[in-house]
Amino acid sequence: MKTLAVDFLLKESPNAIAIVDTKLNFINYSNEWHDRFSLGNTDYVNKNLFESIIETPDFFKKAISNGINGEEHINTGQKFILPDGTLQWLKWKIIPSKVENQGFDGAIIFLDDITEEQKEIELLHKAEEVARIGCWELDLLNNTVYWTKTTKEIHEVDQDFVPNLEEGINFYKEGVHRDKISYLVSNAIAEGKSFDTELIIITAKGREVWVCAKGEVEILNGKAVRLIGTFQDIDERKKIELAHQEISERLKMTSQTAQIGTWNYNLTENNLDWDDEMYRIFDIEKFNFSGAFEAWSSTIHTDDLKRVLTATENAINGIKDFDEEYRIIHKNGTIRHIKGLSKTINDINGTAVKMTGANWDITELRSTEIKLAESTKSFTETFEHSSIGMALVSPDLNWLKANKSLCKSLGYSENELLKISSNDITHPDDLPGSRYFKKKVIEGDTINLQFQKRYFHKNGNIVHAIIGATPVKDINGNISHIIIQFLDITERIESQKKLEALVDVTKSQNESLTNFAHIVSHNLRSHSTNMVMLTKFLNKEKDDEERQNIHRMITSATESLSETIAHLNDVVQIKTGTLENLQSISVINTINHITKSINGLLEDKEAQLKIDICKTHFVNAVPAYLESIFLNILTNALKYSSEKRTPIIKITSHIEEQLMVISFTDNGQGIDLKRHGDKIFGMYKTFHKHKDAKGIGLFITKNQIESMSGSINIESKVDKGTKIIIKLKQG
Amino acid sequence: MKKIEICCIIDDDPIFVYGTKRIIKEVNFANSIIVYNNGKDALDGLMKLCIANEPLPDVIFLDLNMPILNGWEFLDEFKNCKSPLSKKIVIYIISSSVDPRDLERVKNYEQVDTYILKPITPDDLGKILGATVES
Repeated sequence: MKTLAVDFLLKESPNAIAIVDTKLNFINYSNEWHDRFSLGNTDYVNKNLFESIIETPDFFKKAISNGINGEEHINTGQKFILPDGTLQWLKWKIIPSKVENQGFDGAIIFLDDITEEQKEIELLHKAEEVARIGCWELDLLNNTVYWTKTTKEIHEVDQDFVPNLEEGINFYKEGVHRDKISYLVSNAIAEGKSFDTELIIITAKGREVWVCAKGEVEILNGKAVRLIGTFQDIDERKKIELAHQEISERLKMTSQTAQIGTWNYNLTENNLDWDDEMYRIFDIEKFNFSGAFEAWSSTIHTDDLKRVLTATENAINGIKDFDEEYRIIHKNGTIRHIKGLSKTINDINGTAVKMTGANWDITELRSTEIKLAESTKSFTETFEHSSIGMALVSPDLNWLKANKSLCKSLGYSENELLKISSNDITHPDDLPGSRYFKKKVIEGDTINLQFQKRYFHKNGNIVHAIIGATPVKDINGNISHIIIQFLDITERIESQKKLEALVDVTKSQNESLTNFAHIVSHNLRSHSTNMVMLTKFLNKEKDDEERQNIHRMITSATESLSETIAHLNDVVQIKTGTLENLQSISVINTINHITKSINGLLEDKEAQLKIDICKTHFVNAVPAYLESIFLNILTNALKYSSEKRTPIIKITSHIEEQLMVISFTDNGQGIDLKRHGDKIFGMYKTFHKHKDAKGIGLFITKNQIESMSGSINIESKVDKGTKIIIKLKQG
Repeated sequence: MKKIEICCIIDDDPIFVYGTKRIIKEVNFANSIIVYNNGKDALDGLMKLCIANEPLPDVIFLDLNMPILNGWEFLDEFKNCKSPLSKKIVIYIISSSVDPRDLERVKNYEQVDTYILKPITPDDLGKILGATVES
């Protein structure tokens, strides 16, 4: 069988072919074999295959061994790794050679190194997997569909899944997506138009995935025979894209709502690009805007221009990003305040190429700030110089700030006040009221509440004040402090008290004068009418005895009249000019003087005097009045002594609230004060059946005491005794 | 003209009592006259008459300013013990006081008929007699 021609063909074959005998010794091989799979350049005929061949996998060796024993073996591609780590792909075909009736005498081996091709395919697959790009093919002649591994993975179907056209289309989401792919595919088939679209599919597992499907058409004789294309998972990118789109929309809306204008300035081309808000803020018509830097800078207020241009310069040079407030002038001449921010964008070499920024109108904010500053200033000035006291206190009533006027009213310096609480110097009786007031203020139902209370001045005096309170709330609605207005009304209260006292005195004097006038009129009238009546009788009476009787009565009436006039004179004298004649008099001396003068009366009544008066006790009084008072009280005590017991009269003195208190206590008849209390000191009031009772003594006594700014009081029980208490100023 | 049976004078001024008694006799005003010197005496005396079942006065001439129990106090007490005194007694206040407060105060006492300013005159008695007899 060995012929030259056959040998030649074998040698020149473009494939690597070797023929071996049963001992695996080379019978012949092609040049290709020698070039690609032999270890050296020598002739290997009759030499063993495995002595001269490159490294091959065990699998191949085994296939050859089987081949010489008559087993044909085909391997379309076997991957293995060489001991040095390099990857190798071999493909072979082993055909046993048979000698008729003699069995097998060897084998023909076809061997091919397909490493390069395999690597490329593998890379392609890898790329397909990594990029999530699959391929598909629609054979229109056979009406079959082929999907690559990745395409199947994207659809989340098993690798053994065999799709058809309809199933493939149905993976697209119902509605616009499915409609679109149907249209594109049928258009490609009918018109030969390729497509490139992004649509949503619903995978076999039910997930929504964005894919990019591309299709190309192969035309044969003017008719589409095949569609091939790619199928890419773009879910992540698409979602990011959609999210970005949404954010951009939102940003646009936000800046419109917030009235923030944005701009881009291309430095290399001096081209300024504004959004619509910018035109509105700068009051410039879009078609009038030149788009140059000067178009912007020309609107800036001349006073601010230099500063703004410097800041722009600095921003371009990367010294400092633009962050300025400046004024611009609108077409109609109004000045607006603008806040501007920008970022400078550099190219790869660090050269500024672009600026982007934002502007907004802060005129309202500015004017509010100015108003606030003015109001703060005016409040501070009012606070400091106000003639009424003002303070800020914390919700727990500690002073935070106090003005001069308040400090003056309370006698503390501001620093001293800040160390104490308002309660520390509040009159204890006004603390409950203060607490209630604070509660009302903090509840805040009514604004500008007022409350009158008393404080203690540093020197201990009482300070009367009307407090006005206004709570100030922080941004969370909690009370941060309270503004206190403090109207010092001490002087007003004092003068009011004086006025009230004066009114009381005037009223009582007026009353006493009215009474006095009526008493005078009554008494004078009763005597005079008696005299008129008696005179009439006298004129008519003829009987001598009766005439004498009438004469006697006329005389008596005349005496009574003159006595009454004398009493009135006494009273009138007390009312006039007492206070000028006051002097310091010893109480004990006056008592001793009086008791001596009524010694006879005391002895007559067998009365006992118990005198307990300190020698140092002096009163401020008119001497004659004091004597008259003591005399009157003592004689009354004796006149109305009880017949059942020996009269005992106690006279004591003590000091009470800076006044001298002198008491006369007797054990006499006493007087029913419930019945007579209101008229005990009245004129011509008598309460006992005593022949000398005239009802003038205590009336005069009371008037004398009161004219010396003193007071007289009485305590009494019928048949037990009477206590007369006199209070006079100390001498 | 019909006389009044018993007339009572309550006054501490002896001259006034003398004069009034004299005029009563002159105009023949009453058959008999009872005199008390203050409100307390008058109350005690009238109670005594009542208990002894003796005739009570028809008319009382009452002074206001008196010691111990004055005219007002008498009126207050008299009001309280009116029930045992079943007879209707007309009271006339006879006073020197021109104090409007007194004139006003009289209106609070319904048993007081008239306020007569001192001195009492025969004309006054004539009017009282006329009024009393008519009633």
